Amino acid sequence: MVKKKRSFQEVTEVAEPLTVEEATSAHGIRACLEEIKSYDGVVGYILRNSTSAAIDLKDPTKIIDYAILSSSAIDASKELSELFNLGEVKNIVIEGKEIKVLSLTIDENKISIFLEKGADYETIVKKLYAL
Amino acid sequence: MDDEIYSFALKNTLNEVRNVCPEITNAFMFKEDGEVIAGDENTPEKTIVRVVDSFDSILEKAEAIGDVEGVALEGDKGRLNVFHMNNLYFVIVTSRKADMTYVNTVTRVLIPTILKLLDKICPTPLKNNPPLTEKVPITPTLRETEEPSEDLVEETALEESEEIVKPEIKSEPLLPEAPVNQLIVENLGGLLVPSDTVRIDNKILSEWEELYENKTIEEVEIKTIDGKTTRCKVKPIKDSKYEGKGIIQMPEKIQLALEIKKGELVRAKPIVE
Repeated sequence: MVKKKRSFQEVTEVAEPLTVEEATSAHGIRACLEEIKSYDGVVGYILRNSTSAAIDLKDPTKIIDYAILSSSAIDASKELSELFNLGEVKNIVIEGKEIKVLSLTIDENKISIFLEKGADYETIVKKLYAL
Repeated sequence: MDDEIYSFALKNTLNEVRNVCPEITNAFMFKEDGEVIAGDENTPEKTIVRVVDSFDSILEKAEAIGDVEGVALEGDKGRLNVFHMNNLYFVIVTSRKADMTYVNTVTRVLIPTILKLLDKICPTPLKNNPPLTEKVPITPTLRETEEPSEDLVEETALEESEEIVKPEIKSEPLLPEAPVNQLIVENLGGLLVPSDTVRIDNKILSEWEELYENKTIEEVEIKTIDGKTTRCKVKPIKDSKYEGKGIIQMPEKIQLALEIKKGELVRAKPIVE
């Protein structure tokens, strides 16, 4: 396992063989998230798939809490969608008093973006689905 | 105004909301502690319980973002929205074609108005946490002689409260009737987990043991709402997060045998021989 740490950014890569397509997809999303991170009101993101995870948050003390919340949100969205026959989940937004979380899955990549309460997430959703 | 009327008023409001916005397929509300307040006639209580269970996992972790004020889930066939108002979570499910501006206008105006009105007329139900109609039956102790019916979950709390009986049978010389507890199924897995053993609250086990003059309860009979039964070993729940929540942790094998899954309701009673 290779572990790199750069300021508030944590990247963990599992040394498992990746297909070129998967790697490209994850790289594409990662690049897009890097751009999204610079948008107004975006406080960070979590990207994970079966082989790697990337976390970039302005407040590194929240990494664990946000990672657990992100995972719970994605799991709950699947359960709720099955219960009410909502079809394939496009995204779930959890609005807190201070922060809101946008979570979505693209292929096998589970993405959560953390935004300040008043920030707009529609543009981000469109940008990610345009990938 | 008593609890029954209060709940009746909310239920009717939810039905009316659905009439006004036919794109709303389900509407219900529950308290912050998970207690179901009211649901429209289209949503089975079993479904609401499963939603509360799913939502609970988010609420538990949402402290990091300053607690949940709302949730919006978008699927390709429909949407689910959760609003936090008056210490309640109000859930609406809409079809894909729903005009969300209209839906939000109706629900965000009508529901808070009704809640405020009810709160003024009768503030007790939402403030003192008494059981209301359609409350999630966590662990009511029922008479053994009563045959569980299929429409149990549809029963009103009023009816349930008539059935709820505290075991006060210590003075009887014979073994008391076995109490029946209604519990919500939770998955139990792991390498060292025996497939023939369920786990329930230590408190419930203690109550049973106390009822049977401190006999150790080692087995339970589990009955589903569909009437399927099985007998298995029982141990207390180890994971503190499931304590006091009316949960029965059940290995996959038993769930398959009973044809049930996580979030469903079952009845459990001790076996004393």
